[in-house]
Amino acid sequence: MSALIARAEARSPETGLGERIAENQRRVFQIAYSVLGNAADAEDVAQEAFLRACQKSALLRDTEKFRGWVNRIVFRLALNRKRGHWRRLARDTAWQMNETPTMVDGAKDAEQQVMLDRLRREIERLPGKLRSVLQLSIVEEMEAADVGAVLGIPAGTVRSRLHTARKLLLDAMK
Amino acid sequence: MKNACERWKDPLREAALTGTTPKDLEEHLRSCAKCSAELDEERARAARLDALLPLVARGAEPSADFRARVVAGAEAAREGKRARPWQAWALAGAAAVVLVIGVVMYRRTTQTISFSVSELAAAQKLAEWRAPSDGLLATPGQEILRTMPRLGESYLHVPVKTDEEE
Repeated sequence: MSALIARAEARSPETGLGERIAENQRRVFQIAYSVLGNAADAEDVAQEAFLRACQKSALLRDTEKFRGWVNRIVFRLALNRKRGHWRRLARDTAWQMNETPTMVDGAKDAEQQVMLDRLRREIERLPGKLRSVLQLSIVEEMEAADVGAVLGIPAGTVRSRLHTARKLLLDAMK
Repeated sequence: MKNACERWKDPLREAALTGTTPKDLEEHLRSCAKCSAELDEERARAARLDALLPLVARGAEPSADFRARVVAGAEAAREGKRARPWQAWALAGAAAVVLVIGVVMYRRTTQTISFSVSELAAAQKLAEWRAPSDGLLATPGQEILRTMPRLGESYLHVPVKTDEEE
């Protein structure tokens, strides 16, 4: 496997994939993570998004187009994975659980962990339109225009939905 | 918060979230210590929320070898495609065979049969031909055969005499 990785790395400048991954991997991973709340799943989804991009060589050459495309595709893939996850969870463990505890790696202490878990639950309770905007807006380097491009809405709508979402969360987190 | 201050509840939350205080609220805050305290509290909660929100997305990082794994995955997929050229040839061959068989079958079913005039006359003559022994069959025996009762019918037609006839 390591030989394959070395050979692939050596070839990546000619395909442009390595460069595109380096530029986008952090943001793409975070989009998936904000939806899924799980690092392993987020990495799977991010990987799938990049592999799909490989099939579009023209896309790999255009940095800006690639950025918009990969943002959209990873968000869709993450939502699909999440729907599948909830379906499986409901089917397999309906007898024992209502909510899954999430492990947030960035939490500094137990109290923050508890707060984050609660915040995640409150985000899940938000209406879908507000939740999508919030999940994308909290990702680094995602401006209102970028979020709007992913969701197909104007930047102004993104800002107003984000404001409403924060207001609802502020009430919920009292 | 006093009951009179209830109407400032929403503006207070807005002010905490946006960081801007409208003039009428500012005037009220000067005269109301409770609402001032409420605003400070709302601002603190908004700050906590804004500090916590990024962690929902930025709490984790992709693993160190993520890029290498994706590149390797893409390369493996590309090599897999390249390593199976025989599949394309096999598919093309199969398609060609199916096409040839289809064409042959189609031609067979749509082929028109043409006959010459003399052949048609001979065929008609053959259809109209009757054997000389056909005449022999026109005997009384034929009538017996024609009137023979069928299965389930009675051979005997014994007339039943009714009471009135007697």
